[in-house]
Amino acid sequence: MAKEAEPAIKVEKLTKRYGNLLAVDDISFNVRQGELFALLGPNGAGKTTTVEIIDTIRTPTSGKVTLLGMDVTKKKHDIVPHIGVLPQGFSSFDRITVRETLQYYSRLFCCMNIDIDGLVELVDLKDKAKELYKNLSGGLKQRLGIAIALVNDPEVLFLDEPTTGLDPRARREVWKVLLGLKKKGKTVFLTTHYMEEAELLADTVAIISKGKIITMGSPEALIESNANYLVLTLKPVDEKAVEIVRKMNYEPVHDNHKDITVRVEHTDDVQKILNAIKDAGYPLHSMDVRKPNLEEVFLKLTSAVLRKSKDPAGEVTE
Amino acid sequence: MNPRVVGANLVVRIKSFYREKSTMFFMIAFPIILILVFGALFMNQDNMNFDLCVQDLDQTDSSARLVKTLEIDGKFKVIKIDATISATQYARDNKLNLILTIPKDYEGSFLQRVALNDPDASVTLTYLYDPSSISVSMKMQILNSVFAGINQKMSGKPPFIRSAETSILARKYRFIEFFIPGIIAMSVMTLSLFGTVNVNTELRQKGVIRKLSTTPITRTDWILSNILYQFILAVLSTMAMLVVSYAVFNVSLQINAWLPVFIVLDVFAFVGIGMILTRFAKEAESAAAAANAISFPMMFLSGSFFPLEMMPGFMQAVARILPLYYVNEGLRASMVFNDHMAALRYSAIIGVFAAVVFILGIIATKWEEGQ
Repeated sequence: MAKEAEPAIKVEKLTKRYGNLLAVDDISFNVRQGELFALLGPNGAGKTTTVEIIDTIRTPTSGKVTLLGMDVTKKKHDIVPHIGVLPQGFSSFDRITVRETLQYYSRLFCCMNIDIDGLVELVDLKDKAKELYKNLSGGLKQRLGIAIALVNDPEVLFLDEPTTGLDPRARREVWKVLLGLKKKGKTVFLTTHYMEEAELLADTVAIISKGKIITMGSPEALIESNANYLVLTLKPVDEKAVEIVRKMNYEPVHDNHKDITVRVEHTDDVQKILNAIKDAGYPLHSMDVRKPNLEEVFLKLTSAVLRKSKDPAGEVTE
Repeated sequence: MNPRVVGANLVVRIKSFYREKSTMFFMIAFPIILILVFGALFMNQDNMNFDLCVQDLDQTDSSARLVKTLEIDGKFKVIKIDATISATQYARDNKLNLILTIPKDYEGSFLQRVALNDPDASVTLTYLYDPSSISVSMKMQILNSVFAGINQKMSGKPPFIRSAETSILARKYRFIEFFIPGIIAMSVMTLSLFGTVNVNTELRQKGVIRKLSTTPITRTDWILSNILYQFILAVLSTMAMLVVSYAVFNVSLQINAWLPVFIVLDVFAFVGIGMILTRFAKEAESAAAAANAISFPMMFLSGSFFPLEMMPGFMQAVARILPLYYVNEGLRASMVFNDHMAALRYSAIIGVFAAVVFILGIIATKWEEGQ
């Protein structure tokens, strides 16, 4: 078993090809024990392939993955009892109830003493325990999937896009469960393309694009190091105010709600813009200045990779 | 292999089946409806009559009595052939598949046996037959059982044999009795084939198999529980069919150890084919279409519904290459004719086939996403 100081997951030079398609391109990273690690990326970036190699569903083309000190390609049967997996697009037997499904999976792990009621309560499915799987809503199905991933009390939990396709309320319900697991000290490996999810839940975020990890760190550190600007949002009474900002050599974005969004480098710039609008005689309804969020960092980095791949000789300018 | 895991999987499959009422209907009620409908349709066609050409070279009272016995006990429609012509030529000219020849000294041997009690006296009846014809074996089976009855009668064996002999002699080959083994074979085939294809492709498409591959359940556990599940369904379905057949049509069938043997072989053969189809079909729909493409022609061409004699010659030849034919004929040999040797022969053929496709099915079953 892995020592305390050892990472729970160690990925070294991992590559996966499907014929001519290079899905994962020589990536390396570690996941510490007890942390919630989020792998962020656009669709087709290689998130699911990466997580499915680590959680033993797929085999790598090359590279080495060690999970709890064991090689995933050689020790699948030793690893499986220690991990819980919610695969992407999770589904279960339609005509089996919530409780029966949990009993079934606990029997597969031969965990006869598992507290099924405790698990049902953990994911807040007590009222639905006797409901057939097919009658559950999307959010409830995902919560059951998480409960299934916990039947063997795993040391490491893999959740592949657990909130995709859920409405905002259902997503928040899943987040609540994940925060509970984090408090319990479980190592959680999460893949998602929801930035706010990663920002809210993750200790470490790795952004993957076109099979490569382009940056990695805590959400705060990523924002700090990749986005040294402020976002100024103005709601002027007169739309002509946008022209004033444009003439000052900024690049304002004028959206459908008549808001003007401007990226500025310093608080001095904010003052300058406010003064110019005031001097022109355009009053403001409201204004807001904030730091950029992870989504903006993500868009900046992934679009830079996209541009670079289209023009391999070109430099990343942002 | 972990029995607890296999058991857990079996319970889930049985519960899913029990809760899916439309599947229940098609798997259990449908074959029963077929039996009731066909049974009622052919109720009046009570006796199966086969034509039998007989060349009586003896032309005596004894040989005439033998011919009469064949008509009564074997339910044959006897066509007498002139004793002076060549039977072989006659069979060729008239495209006959079987001519029974009674030798010239039949009455002499018969009297020697009966009047003089000479146990060595015997007579050899010749089956002049076309080995490429499938229905000929059925006729020969009936002839054998009639002759076995006559032999038993002449040798004066103890009464228990006499009663068995009587039941054979009194045997009426009703259409429904040919039909039921065929329907059992067909329903076990469809249960096993569609059960495997539908469940496996659906679970694979929905990602349940992917999830299961991250648990300790192995491919062996999964296949074993599937086989057990299909076997339980096949036994339930067969029992339901037999109960209805006995209750409604008062059939007379031999239920012996061959019945479970053929059910097991039928299950293995078609679960094997199902596993192969699951591997190569991309989606549930195409797998079901492939299963239909295999099972439908098999149902009609392998003699499940009708004795093959009713079919044209080339279709009879096609039947011989179909696995279901051997289950049909094996079940008929054991349940209708009580012919253990024939049942053994058919079980050996379908057994080899089942073993081959089942092994291929295991190899084809994809458990991990792999490369």
